[in-house]
Amino acid sequence: MMLKDFFTILPKVLHLRSIIGYNSLVFALKKTPVIGKMIPDRLYKTAFLKVIYWIFHIIKEVGALFIGKMAGISCVYIAAWVLSSAYKSHDMIPGMSESSIFGMFALFFFILYALIGVLLNTNIFKKTPEKDYLVFMIRMDAKKLNNTLFAYELGKMFIGYYLVGPVTVLIGCPFWAWLVIPFLAVLIKLFGAGFLSLRYKMMSKKHKPLRNSYAGDVFKLVAVILLMPFLMIMIINGYYVPMPVVIACVILLAILGIIGFFVLKNTDATLHRKALHDGHVVEKASAVEAKNQTRSFKKIKADGSFKSDKKGFEYLNDLFVKRHRKMLIMKPVAFSVIMLVILAFVIYLFIACYYEDNGADACRNMVMNNLVNLFTFKGFKDPLVNLEDSSFQFFRWCASFQLFGLLVPITMAENSFKCTQAMYINCDNSLMTFSFFKKREMIMKLFDIRFKQLLKINLPPAFVSAIAANLVLFATGGQEYPFQYLVTFIIATAMVVTYTMSWLALYYLFQPFTTTVTVKSGAYAAARTVFSIIIAIVMWIPAHSLIVLAVTVVVAVLFVFIMRKLVSKNAPKTWRVKA
Amino acid sequence: MEFVISHLVKSYGSKQVLKDCGFVFEEGRIYGLLGRNGSGKTTLFNCINSDIEFNSGEFYFRDGKDSAGKIALQPEDIGYVVSTPTVPEFMTGREFLKFFIEVHEEITPDKTIDEYFDYMMIPEDDRDRILRDYSHGTKNKMQMLVNIIAKPRLMLLDEPLTSLDVIVAEEMKNVIRNQKDGHITIFSTHLLDVAVDLCDEIVLLNHGKLEPIDKNNLGDSDFKEKIIAALRDEDDA
Repeated sequence: MMLKDFFTILPKVLHLRSIIGYNSLVFALKKTPVIGKMIPDRLYKTAFLKVIYWIFHIIKEVGALFIGKMAGISCVYIAAWVLSSAYKSHDMIPGMSESSIFGMFALFFFILYALIGVLLNTNIFKKTPEKDYLVFMIRMDAKKLNNTLFAYELGKMFIGYYLVGPVTVLIGCPFWAWLVIPFLAVLIKLFGAGFLSLRYKMMSKKHKPLRNSYAGDVFKLVAVILLMPFLMIMIINGYYVPMPVVIACVILLAILGIIGFFVLKNTDATLHRKALHDGHVVEKASAVEAKNQTRSFKKIKADGSFKSDKKGFEYLNDLFVKRHRKMLIMKPVAFSVIMLVILAFVIYLFIACYYEDNGADACRNMVMNNLVNLFTFKGFKDPLVNLEDSSFQFFRWCASFQLFGLLVPITMAENSFKCTQAMYINCDNSLMTFSFFKKREMIMKLFDIRFKQLLKINLPPAFVSAIAANLVLFATGGQEYPFQYLVTFIIATAMVVTYTMSWLALYYLFQPFTTTVTVKSGAYAAARTVFSIIIAIVMWIPAHSLIVLAVTVVVAVLFVFIMRKLVSKNAPKTWRVKA
Repeated sequence: MEFVISHLVKSYGSKQVLKDCGFVFEEGRIYGLLGRNGSGKTTLFNCINSDIEFNSGEFYFRDGKDSAGKIALQPEDIGYVVSTPTVPEFMTGREFLKFFIEVHEEITPDKTIDEYFDYMMIPEDDRDRILRDYSHGTKNKMQMLVNIIAKPRLMLLDEPLTSLDVIVAEEMKNVIRNQKDGHITIFSTHLLDVAVDLCDEIVLLNHGKLEPIDKNNLGDSDFKEKIIAALRDEDDA
């Protein structure tokens, strides 16, 4: 019966997914400037193209199977492989063969990996657009649908894990580990789903909404992030979980998985439906997400304490920023600053303390033994900059070039995008119906005010990045030439100017939002992606910081000039409410 | 002063919403733009307000009957009140008016801010609250008020009475009537009774074209049936 449901429901879901995907693609294309005008409405019903899309959709599903599932399990096997060879070469577990050590670590890491997956991503009750349509519009049985999709996910995972197996056996993984892991994966998933189902049953009895708490999710994520490095360092230093304990865990999880299966089997359709209805387990349904996002932007602080004595557009901007202080300034800046300060201190302490206390050799050895180095950076050599083969120099190199170039855009991207979303949903969306707001001189007046405002928001986290980079430079031998510390700040400022202008100008040139804060412009998304890729490529070209300084400053000046001209020319036409 | 729409065409893909639309609107009159849902009333307004581009045609002001004297529309000539009120929700009503007056340097307000509020019958305790907390009707009044302050030549009212309660709807109607002198007011609605009650003339937007209805017929008993018959799609018949 269950199998019959599976084969009846799955094709419908996949078909619906492809329809949603195809129509969304045509919609996005039609909204793209120039191309959009050439695309006729009949494209929505062109059978031939739908078949092509359907083929791509299947390739995508298979791709997800190979890339998604196999990438995760490959990391587990690689970690086990590296550790088993390291353990064997140092004879850290006398009497145990390398293959057995491999199997032990593979099982141990896999249990960790799967439990973290269950903790963060048990999505049997997750609300998705297709579930929305099928359950709430077409009134499909929620239990059958959820179980079918869950079984489909388990099947993909099972096959994906088996496909990785032969390679792992070739590099030393014992045959039994390859056989056991896919079954264990399914059982752990069943345990997670059964546990969640049980939890929802209890919540339902207490008439609580069936959804995960946001604070709980954050707590779990932080716990995992904090636990992992600690665990890794323990293992690197020879503390491991012995084989009998690992096997006991496997047996326990298998039993829990079987119980989970029966719990899930006995969960009635009403609970499934209620869980979907209460939704937001890890909300991804775009429409609802958009509404939620929009609602979060409507949290305006207006208790009368924020006043302004400015005039005109300065007055508008001042009130806007003050009333959205928490969203625009406090939250992102505080978040960026805290993260960067932590990062700076971690790097600083990591290197400086060992360097000061134990000397360069001890420091180098310590860093060399660090897991990060072991997995990722071992043997690192830069083709352009003459560096020693050591983590010590690697961090210095990062601080001078890459780390800095990566941190600044990342910290600013979130701030800038959120700012433009808030500008649109709480201010521009309403004022765009007034003709004065769309006059060129008015647009530019407000554009310039906002550019300055965004700079103020983006500069603090960028400066903290600069401080972090300078700290590392200081701890790893000081500046190479006079004013190098100052150069770091000037580069930061120039980068902030360029990125800030790009985010704001893209908003004015594409105005990608509809009545919600969801991006509905393919052109905007494409422009953003292209711009980000260019920035990433440029910033990751190793170059002397003085060259970086010259390039960033010149680019910043030129970019501001060109983008202002573009906005001035086009914004009266492009910066408007999307129909 | 007249507002002229001439040979206006607007298509969405292959669907032509406005087909060679043309009409002359006179100053000092309220025109009821009547059409079925989806007939293109909002599209017409969005074209005039430059919110969307149109395929061909033009609109302009004309001083008297001199057909050669075309006066191009400037953004400040248009006041647009939409059915779902859009006001910057993070500002109080008073702050919004202050900002609006400050950025319109060309306007010399003939009233104080509180006098404007009084004129629109916006209660005193609402004036210093943020607009997010205003009722639908009061937001609509705010939208109307800033358009009154700006004194545009052409006032586009897109179903502004939709979902207003009886009292606020009556107040709004009175404001619209009081404001008609010196302006060209086009009031779109799909409600026949509202159009008959408020407007001096009725224009049908039907099958993408603007068609005048003889105002002398407004009082006829079978007037409604005639309008409905005119609006009914051939396929419906």
